[in-house]
Order: sequence, then C-alpha cells, then structure tokens
Amino acid sequence: MNTSPNDNDDLASEYVLGTLETEQRREVEQRLAVDADLRLAVASWERRLLELTDLAPPHAPSTHLWGRIERSLEALDRPVAAAPAPATAPTWWDRLALWRGLAGAGLAATLVLGSMLLTRTTPLPVTSYLVVLVAPQSQAPGWVIQASNPREIQLIPLGVAQVPADKALQFWTKAEGWQAPVSLGLVKPGQRLQVPLDQLPPLTPDQLFELTLENPGGSPTGKPTGPIQFIGRAVKVL
Amino acid sequence: MPEPCFDYEACLTACAQGDHQALRALYTQESARLLGVARRIAGDNALAEDIVHDAFIRIWTKAASFDPALGTARGWIFSVTRHLALNFMRNNARLVPINQDHEDASHTPSGFDLHGHSGRIYDCLEQLQPARRDCLLHAYVDGYSHGQIAEKLGTPLGTVKAWIKRSLAALRECMG
Repeated sequence: MNTSPNDNDDLASEYVLGTLETEQRREVEQRLAVDADLRLAVASWERRLLELTDLAPPHAPSTHLWGRIERSLEALDRPVAAAPAPATAPTWWDRLALWRGLAGAGLAATLVLGSMLLTRTTPLPVTSYLVVLVAPQSQAPGWVIQASNPREIQLIPLGVAQVPADKALQFWTKAEGWQAPVSLGLVKPGQRLQVPLDQLPPLTPDQLFELTLENPGGSPTGKPTGPIQFIGRAVKVL
Repeated sequence: MPEPCFDYEACLTACAQGDHQALRALYTQESARLLGVARRIAGDNALAEDIVHDAFIRIWTKAASFDPALGTARGWIFSVTRHLALNFMRNNARLVPINQDHEDASHTPSGFDLHGHSGRIYDCLEQLQPARRDCLLHAYVDGYSHGQIAEKLGTPLGTVKAWIKRSLAALRECMG
C-alpha cells in the first residue's frame, strides 16, 4: 500500500486523538510494529496532545491496586525452572483462584494465566493463543479458551454458568474482516468443549469469541440474536 | 504537574532490567494521574483500575521497547494507558451503552475549563471555535467516538468528522 507522509500524519493524528474506527485502529497498531514513518508520525501527535491529559482530574487508586499489580508481576517473573514441583501437579485451571481476584479486563487475566502455564512443571503443548471470556457487566471470568494449535480450540469452563431452562449457550467467533460471527456450536454450562476449526481460517490476534443466550436449538438466524453472556478476545501467548 | 526531577527514563530502564521498585516508583509518581485519565475514558472507577493494572503490566513487559528518540518516558506511560483504555472501550462498544454511566461527577457537562492550563496546545486550542475545540477534547479526554461526539453535541456526524479533521490540521499548523 502506498501512503504519502500526509496520509500517515492524518491517520496518526486521529489514532492518537482516538477517533479512528475500531478496524482502522487495529490496522494502525499492527502497522506501528513495522512502519517507522507511521511510528514517527504517531509519536509527534502523542507529544503534541500529551498536555491534554492534565484535563482529567487525578484520582488516587484504591489501596489494593498496587498489590494486584505486584502479584501479576510475580506471576510473570516466575521462571520455569524455579517453579516448585507439586506432589500432584494441579491442573492449571485449578489455580485460577489466584488470578480470579486479579482479573478484570481480559488482558490482565490472560497475561497472568499465560505466565502460569509457563510455570507448570509438566511438559506443555505449545499454546499460541489464550482467550479469557468474561461476563460483560461484572467482568468476572467464566470460560477460558486454549488454542494449542491454530486448527483446534478447547473451551474450558471456570464454573457452571447459569442458563435459563428454556435457553442454550451458543459459542461464536469473529475475526477481523469477517462479515459476521460464525457459530462454533452449542455449549453446556460447566462442560468442556473441543472445537475443530477446520472450516475456518487460522486464529488471529484479537479474534473475538463470545457466548450468547439463544433458543435451545441454537440461534434461528445463524447469527447471534440473544444477549452476550461471556466475551473475550484472543491474545497471543509469548 | 509532574515533578521535574523525577527520572522516568531511568525507571523504565530499570523496569526493563526486572526491578520491581522502579515500577513501584512510577506507580507512586503517576498512578493517580493515570487513573484520572482512565476514569474519564472508562467512566467507571473499577474498570479504570483494571485498565491501570493492565497498563502497569504492559509498561513492565514493554519497558525495553521504549524509544527515547520518539518521546519522553512520561509521555510513553500515558500513551500506553490511554490506548489501553481506548481499545477497551472500542472493543466492548457493543456492551457499553453510550453515555449511560459515562457522566462522571467531575465531568463538566458544558465544555472544558481550560483556564489555569498552560502549554502550547492550550494556546493553539484557544484559536479554535469552541464547538470544534470541544470535539477534540471529548475525543482525547473522554475517549468519545465520532458518533458519541455527534450525539453529545447534537451535531451531524459528517460535520463532527470534518471539524475534527480540520481542527487537527489547524493544530498541526499552530504547534509545528
């Protein structure tokens, strides 16, 4: 794609201001990793506008926020070799209590969870993507998606989701550029689900996953129609 | 205002080397201001704290990628936090109804009070028409999308987009 310095500067200005559409934002963030000119243009705009952050009145964080950050740091820091060998290796989701308290926005949970996977003493399959699905309102994590290869994912419950008797949970995914979410099938609360992705393109970062409440046979339209119960995005595990 | 003597860059360098105390120093120095920024965008204190948590983890893991040639270390940690907050709001746009919980007590409903703020950006903003200036400020400070600004100001979407484009060009001209 040919972009003139002006295009880059316009794009950078609206990226920093925050008014780009979601897809464009994501494109800019992907290009920033490889495009030095765009990086320079964004940096100039960050510098121009930085003083506007003074307009947001400061607000002291609650006293436990630093503790949360520190626990996350420790989970990230723990080297693989130093992990004590437990008598019976707990499955990693048993240790979710650790990060359940930390979890809020999906990213934090995912980072911590990723590091916990690394601390396991038994050999692990190479996990390339993780998704923590959280309840939209409470942000409480309800499910984790593990993708040990890009062709298959596992949906793992962290508890038993409450679903009305006459409804079912339907599992969906949508990657950038797709017209609409694609159904990955119906899900029983509290039950693990293994989903082959043979018919779909490979997983991509930020790919959206959600569980919606639908009729027992699944959405009649083939698209999500009911309220979102859990939602999250794929994060690449380093 | 930030303390002029605080060495943000040294803190980031130390973070890149695994020094928790350096991150702690940044936290002590800026967490209240960063939380203020996140609160305006998220419109919710608990969510804003989650964003600040994520921001500090990101600052920690990405400290080595900070490039002093591109800007100040302090600017970088604010950018990290702001973009996390913006991404959260955009990615969850379907879930967070516009404006419902967004009105914070500290929020001045009719525009922004720029008095007492000094800096080139404020001089340049003064030269814009108030409605156009408000578009930029709602976007930057409140994290509003074009659509939310149009709704907030009761101005057509196309007009808001054009105003923002032209105001940014004017700012670039004014600030160099």
